[in-house]
Amino acid sequence: MNPVGITLERVSKQFEHRVKGKVYAVRDLSLEVQPGELLTLLGPSGCGKTTTLRMIAGFQQPDAGRILIARQDVTGLMANARNIGFVFQNYALFPHLSVHENVAYGLRVQKQSAAEIARAVGVVLALVGLEGHDRQMPNQLSGGEQQRVALARAIVIKPRVLLFDEPLSNLDARLRVQMRGEIQRLQKTLGITAVYVTHDQEEAMAISDRIAVMNAGVIAQQGTAETLYRSPATEFVAQFIGRTNLLTARVVSVSPSKVDLEVQGRPLWTSHAPLGLKAGQTVRLMVRPEAIELRPVITAGALHGKVVSRTFLGEKVEYQLRMGTELVQVTDYNPAHTGALQPGETVTLDIAPDAVRVLPGGRP
Amino acid sequence: MAAPSPPEPRAASIGPSANQRSGRDPALLATVLALWALLGLFVVFPLARLLGRAFFDDGRFTVTNVLATLGDPNHRRAFVNSLLLATLVGLCGTALGFLFAYTAARGGLGRGWLTALDAATLLPLISPPFTTAITMIFSFGPRGLITYHLLGLKHFTAYGLHSTLFAETLTYFPLAYLTLRPILAGIDANVEDMAFSLGGSRWRVFRTITLPLAVPGFANAFLLLFAASLADFATPLILAGNSFPVLPTQAYLQITGLLDFKGGAVLSFALLVPAAAVYLLQRYWVGRRSYVTITGKAGPATESKSVAPWARALLVLACLLVALVICYLYTLLFYASIVVAFGANHAWTWHHYHVIFTEGLKAIGDTLIIAGAGMPLGGLFGVLVGYLAARTTIPGRQALEMVSMLNYALPGTIVGIGYLIAFNEPPVELTGTALIIVACYVFRYSPTGIRATVALLQQIDPSIEEASQGLGARSGTTFRRITLPLILPAFFAGLGVMFIRSMTAISATIFLISINWTLITVRILENMTELSLGPAAAFSVFVVAVVFVVITLISALLRRFRAAGSVAMTSVLGS
Repeated sequence: MNPVGITLERVSKQFEHRVKGKVYAVRDLSLEVQPGELLTLLGPSGCGKTTTLRMIAGFQQPDAGRILIARQDVTGLMANARNIGFVFQNYALFPHLSVHENVAYGLRVQKQSAAEIARAVGVVLALVGLEGHDRQMPNQLSGGEQQRVALARAIVIKPRVLLFDEPLSNLDARLRVQMRGEIQRLQKTLGITAVYVTHDQEEAMAISDRIAVMNAGVIAQQGTAETLYRSPATEFVAQFIGRTNLLTARVVSVSPSKVDLEVQGRPLWTSHAPLGLKAGQTVRLMVRPEAIELRPVITAGALHGKVVSRTFLGEKVEYQLRMGTELVQVTDYNPAHTGALQPGETVTLDIAPDAVRVLPGGRP
Repeated sequence: MAAPSPPEPRAASIGPSANQRSGRDPALLATVLALWALLGLFVVFPLARLLGRAFFDDGRFTVTNVLATLGDPNHRRAFVNSLLLATLVGLCGTALGFLFAYTAARGGLGRGWLTALDAATLLPLISPPFTTAITMIFSFGPRGLITYHLLGLKHFTAYGLHSTLFAETLTYFPLAYLTLRPILAGIDANVEDMAFSLGGSRWRVFRTITLPLAVPGFANAFLLLFAASLADFATPLILAGNSFPVLPTQAYLQITGLLDFKGGAVLSFALLVPAAAVYLLQRYWVGRRSYVTITGKAGPATESKSVAPWARALLVLACLLVALVICYLYTLLFYASIVVAFGANHAWTWHHYHVIFTEGLKAIGDTLIIAGAGMPLGGLFGVLVGYLAARTTIPGRQALEMVSMLNYALPGTIVGIGYLIAFNEPPVELTGTALIIVACYVFRYSPTGIRATVALLQQIDPSIEEASQGLGARSGTTFRRITLPLILPAFFAGLGVMFIRSMTAISATIFLISINWTLITVRILENMTELSLGPAAAFSVFVVAVVFVVITLISALLRRFRAAGSVAMTSVLGS
């Protein structure tokens, strides 16, 4: 079966909030998931990512807009007619059915022959590494095993689309890393288009072909993990993906190749700035903590700050610095290089112009 | 007070599944329509006829009937008496229930003691509602064991407010116990420990922390007891006597004695007003004021949470005393059933049992047939309505649940008189049939099943059903293969309550019996009024024994399903 695409066209969904009245969970959202792709909806809780996923599944109906799977409008179709595989956050295993019966459920609904069901369930259980567990009840399984059963149950019906709703959030950290590798491997092997919901940015970056960052019911930005990390479109995305410093700066001059800025009265320049900036304008800059180098000497005219705290984390050292009115985070991955800087010391901050981004839509 | 607000249930914040809308599912739509039709016929129609009889004359609205009936000083007195009795029973029963609940939750008692407490409170719950009243007569009546034989009192009167209050308090305090115990057990141990660590004495902590946190529970228990006493028909009929008329007995006498249906309807309406007020208060005021979320996870029994040793001894002693009184009364009941004539001739005999299994056999057979027929119907009805209310988005599902609860919330006298008026003549003539009694039981006692189903479904994540849909199953398949097996415990609980109530109820069905179909409870009452105390006692013992056996069976079934499934089902029989 060829992978299919998913299209959301200007989809909206409102909910009745007890205090606020009608609120948008998802607002005018359009999204294109390419055939065979694993796209992650990433965002904080309440951003609308799960609602979006449930609308793709058909568990919820959009108030407006259309949803297409394989270019066919499925908006009016019930969940049981969409041929989807859904993996729930709490797995939603049927507690009164054995592992085998849980996985066989969808095939029984399709009225497949007993021999075919036995064969298919066997194959899928082997695929997720659960051979020999078929007679166990869900409450006799560990969290990771339950997760695998949920996965097996979703893929055994050969769905056109796989949907994951924070499937790993109930597992411990080590298992989470292992399972996300397995999910990615399975998805690529089976070639099924998948939409994956999580609030964990590291998980999203590890597993996805593309990420759509959501905030307050709309998509803030979509792209590969690298694009989002290097060129966030908004402050929200910059802060949500990785750790970041957001600094206020004044535009000194704008030329075609570079923008001169002033931070805390010190000069800084970058070539990564949106068009239309004017001299004298106040903007927000993004600098990742690992892009700042600290030098224990004070260079006149350069940025400098006072070390507030130092946290030793093995492969790296994290510093907090006060630079005028701003607090700046710096990650030093090569502590031996600089030596230990102690709180109270005043140091110079070297920021490569390439690592500075002026965020669009900065306050005037 | 920083009270933790209960987390919003997921279903409420996300909204039930969109594809369970009625318009899209013919099976669901048909079920809903059928349920509405039944509710319309057996709940709304009788109540409408009752009110119609009270407020309409020759098709014209009038309040003269109401004013005339309420103008009667005897009826006015009955109204005031009913409210007075209900208030007193509410207060005394809540206090007694709190004593038991506090002892159970904070006494640091062993398992054996707790089981004994539970057993003592279970006995009045499963007995016919007037068992206590009968034993009161045995004990304090004209030839009573205590008043006549022990104390030699000749002029003590066992009839009136004092004895009715005593009997009803003993009968209904278990409701308060069952309401308050989980609330006390659910108060976070850390909250009390925190108060101790701030230097509060045990008494101070009890007064300033424990009691205030239990206030919603008190209110709820009081209202439950108030409603139970207001609706109680059999106890006042036996114990209240002529000097203390109350509304249910007054309405009964109006109809059976004077054949005055209109007067009965008006008195029912007078009873309906406070009953409805209590119901609404409980549902919309108390229900939203609980500080404690019952998680099923009991707080650790820390040293500071327990009471002082002397206080504990006092609590246990008080509970034991009450339990002893209950045991004494039931022993007396059994004793009265195996002596020739209680109070006069105390020679052993099985004659009374012979009587009930020969002359009384028809009543036993009829009761068992009606209970057996009502059980599966009521069980199914409860599960269906509970499922529709908790899991679908059909329009009017809350109205469906409310209407289903109506006959349960109304005093039995009102329901009985309503049925009598509604089904005595065409278009639906049911008087004299078993169907009218079965229908009365189904629509009056299935709400326990509804509540148990709703409670159980709230513990089952909706995503389990969505998983089934996602795998291609239609709503019928999902209900049959996933939901139904998971809510079986609620179904059994519903069956159990249906059966127990069918064996013990009287207030509504006393209006519905006929030559063709009679009931054990009605025979007991007849025996009591004819002063054949022996057969009355034997019948009562028989009912208690049957109910006890059935409860044991249901509990065993529940345990079995609890082991196989995964969802905990606590004290379903207690509601």
